[in-house]
Amino acid sequence: MKNKFLIVLSVLLTAAIMASCAPAATATPAATEAPAAATQAPAPAATTAPAASPMDALIAAAKAEGSLNVIALPHDWCNYGGVISDFKAQYGLTINEITPDAGSGDEITAITANKDNKGPQAPDVVDVGFSFGEANKALFAPYKVSTWATIPDSAKSADGYWYGDYYGVMAFMVNTDVQPKVPQDWSDLLDPAYKGQVALSGDPRVSNQAIQAVFASALANGGTLDNAQAGLDFFGKLNKAGNLVPLISNNGLVAKGETPIRITWDYNALAGVDSFNGNPKVTVVIPKSGRFAGVYVQAISAYAPHPNAAKLWMEYLYSDKGQLTWMAKPGYCHPIREADLRARGAVPADVSAAVPDVSGAVFPSDAQLSGAKDLITKNWDKAVGSDIKAAP
Amino acid sequence: MKFVTWLRRAPLWSGFWYLLGVLYFVLPLYATFDFSLRIERDKIGLLAYQKAFADPGFLQTFVYSNVLAVITILVGLILVVPTSYWIRLRLPEARRVVEYVTTLALVIPAIVMGFGLVSVFGAPIKIPFTSIQLTDSLLNSPVGTNFIVVMGYTVLALPLMYRSIDTGMRTIDVRVLTEASQSLGANWFTIIVKIILPNLRASILSGALLTFAIVVGEVTISSILNVPAFSPYLWLLGQHKAYEPAALSFASFLLIWASMGVIQIVTGGRAQAAGAH
Amino acid sequence: MAQTALPASRSSTSTGGAGKWLGVLPFFLFAILFLIWPSARLMVAAFLDDKGGFTLANLAALFQNQTIVSSYLLSIEISAVTALAGGIFGFFLAYSVTIGGLPKPLRSMLITFSAVASNFAGVPLAFAFVATLGRTGFITAILKNIFGVNIYQSGFNLYSFLGLSLTYMYFQFPLMVLIMAPALDSLKNEWREAAENLGATVFQYWWHVALPILLPSILGTMFLLFANSFGAYATAYALTGGSLPLITIQLRAQISGDVLHNPSLGYAMAMGMVIIMAVSTTGYIWLQSRSERWLK
Repeated sequence: MKNKFLIVLSVLLTAAIMASCAPAATATPAATEAPAAATQAPAPAATTAPAASPMDALIAAAKAEGSLNVIALPHDWCNYGGVISDFKAQYGLTINEITPDAGSGDEITAITANKDNKGPQAPDVVDVGFSFGEANKALFAPYKVSTWATIPDSAKSADGYWYGDYYGVMAFMVNTDVQPKVPQDWSDLLDPAYKGQVALSGDPRVSNQAIQAVFASALANGGTLDNAQAGLDFFGKLNKAGNLVPLISNNGLVAKGETPIRITWDYNALAGVDSFNGNPKVTVVIPKSGRFAGVYVQAISAYAPHPNAAKLWMEYLYSDKGQLTWMAKPGYCHPIREADLRARGAVPADVSAAVPDVSGAVFPSDAQLSGAKDLITKNWDKAVGSDIKAAP
Repeated sequence: MKFVTWLRRAPLWSGFWYLLGVLYFVLPLYATFDFSLRIERDKIGLLAYQKAFADPGFLQTFVYSNVLAVITILVGLILVVPTSYWIRLRLPEARRVVEYVTTLALVIPAIVMGFGLVSVFGAPIKIPFTSIQLTDSLLNSPVGTNFIVVMGYTVLALPLMYRSIDTGMRTIDVRVLTEASQSLGANWFTIIVKIILPNLRASILSGALLTFAIVVGEVTISSILNVPAFSPYLWLLGQHKAYEPAALSFASFLLIWASMGVIQIVTGGRAQAAGAH
Repeated sequence: MAQTALPASRSSTSTGGAGKWLGVLPFFLFAILFLIWPSARLMVAAFLDDKGGFTLANLAALFQNQTIVSSYLLSIEISAVTALAGGIFGFFLAYSVTIGGLPKPLRSMLITFSAVASNFAGVPLAFAFVATLGRTGFITAILKNIFGVNIYQSGFNLYSFLGLSLTYMYFQFPLMVLIMAPALDSLKNEWREAAENLGATVFQYWWHVALPILLPSILGTMFLLFANSFGAYATAYALTGGSLPLITIQLRAQISGDVLHNPSLGYAMAMGMVIIMAVSTTGYIWLQSRSERWLK
């Protein structure tokens, strides 16, 4: 018995040592070696992207760095899966994907926690909610992509620290097998028929998506872009009526029928419909009033281990090809350069047909978003959370 | 008295609790399994499993976590058994301190530990008070990162491993065994490996199983250190897909059960059924 | 390791004073390097304000901020409840397969099942319970359709303190089983036979012989269960989405939030958790030393 134990033990130990020493062979791209070329340099000075052929210099520099650390990019979100694989195919860089399910707040924390770390845990680039851009400027390195001029002014920071990448509007994802009565607008959600059926897609104290959902509801309930209190009140009402389920909803819970009405970005809902493949039947509704556009922004970390790869990534995302990958099925996002793309006729007809119509959507400014974020994160507990007493 | 005698003979009381336990365990699992079968409309099928297994990420992360779990078990045992033995034998006053330290490991939130590890080991290792650099940051290489991750997992498993081994040590007479062995001329290594360890079979098994479970289920430190572990993969899948995560949860449950069965065999399953003494 | 640091074959009563501590050196080195130093390094931030200056404001907030105080209370409450309930249920389960006389294969199954059950935490566990006892859960459906009982109408809600406790139990009582089963093995049959010979009833045997021997282990493990539940985050978050303001959820929200949130406050909360555990450890040590009178 003991000999058998020792033999198995030594076999396992050997296997374990071999497994942990072997680099990319067994591990996913997550465990790449930081190449010797990775600099310990401080924040690079602001540069504008050089035109045309200096792009080759950038590509060469990026390839010398060899890999790129991205964070919080689920493959099903705006078709980042397609974006990442296309980028890898085009430039041959390794992409190291950190915590794909992280929220905007987690991304910022990852930058600050890894300030001295040049390993694969430190993000090079982030994709965060709009209001996380200006507030965290100090953590970013400015960069202006070659297509900078075609990004709307309202969606970028003038000195190049952060820049909008895509947007969608807040929508309802309704499992019609469980709930055939489809709400058309925010106020419909208060209907007693929806008792215990409505859920957000995140925690409004941390998740950008959830914060924006509350802000969006404010617009439909008498609030303005400058005051999101109406949104808090609305969700307070929803909670008191028993319609709001405190679960963080995801596609699994929608399919199960536990949260048949999920409030999420339209592109997430549409991608979900694709993945369900008819089971269950889901309708995506963009509410009539309170049509609220949420812009996400890109930024390069000031402590990026691979600054050139980061810049190349941005060039790719803001090229026509990158922008269209976000738009086409299964992305369903509206890329930030959409107006420019359409003006030049660069959008294929089928792609154009797939994205939802979001005319009339309201774009809050950064100040309005920050104000709302402040209000919502600080007061969510009071409005909704802390009535839940400890007693069983 | 006759009723009590009968009650003692037929294990009704035991049977009742066992049944309750089985129900508690099995029902949620069954619910997961049932949901995972319904990926196709109006049909019961295993398509969700096919899709889940087709993803290369599943096998990669599962194997990775299993391997690290085994290493963590070994590190944990090497750390805990001699320490617990020594405390029982010679140093009872250290027991409180050690217990407190192990409880710390349970209470300090994993997110604090994770960022702490990044903060300490994410920087190059220097000789203290100088700027002479010994090695590059441990987290810059896969081996270094795996090492830190295993240490992190060991810390997480420490309280449970320690409690298991300590409970076992409590039941064997360490002093007598040691003195007898020493009088026969054994050195410390022989005592620990040949005398103490075999007597602790059941406790080692418990500790090993608990550690295994902790490592494979661990999310926070794995995410922060960005290693390809199984539970973060499962978590991510659950964000966007509906049926595959349920399929994977259930399948991984079965697979982990199988792995634990192997561990049981290796540590001499029959000995634990007969009880430690 | 122990064998390299110690002298060989010494009589067990005459080891030098300081040398004794070498045996536990590896353990403490490990704990310092990988637990204490990393955590302390971050928790130092609890004393810093956002400009980096020293402040006690964060720690003061722990006592003054009503939300934080009630979070601690809530966490303590749910930990105590699940430790007690899990401890009792787990003890009886462990009893049933050791002394209780159930067949040996049932014991192996229980042990492995227990081990895997403690793996099941976070999103998979939350989903499993949702699928069982949620509004569309299958037990809810069975109760409604076959027994005519609508538990949600009677006020039950999985996304509540009770629901979360039930879910926590899934990994609490297996822990108790795994740790107590070997301990129950140690109750020698001779003791029970001796007690019977002296005319003791089953109850007397347990009350005077078995329980006192087992009490340190039982208390110790329940204490572990308490700490386990106190520090848990993933399951609560997945099940209640942050609506039950446990201290771990609050902490996470502060640390992972953006610049408007206060990581220093988060670390102060972590320190508070450590202090609470220090206090309860003292209580536990007192309890244990009383019960250990019965051990040789």
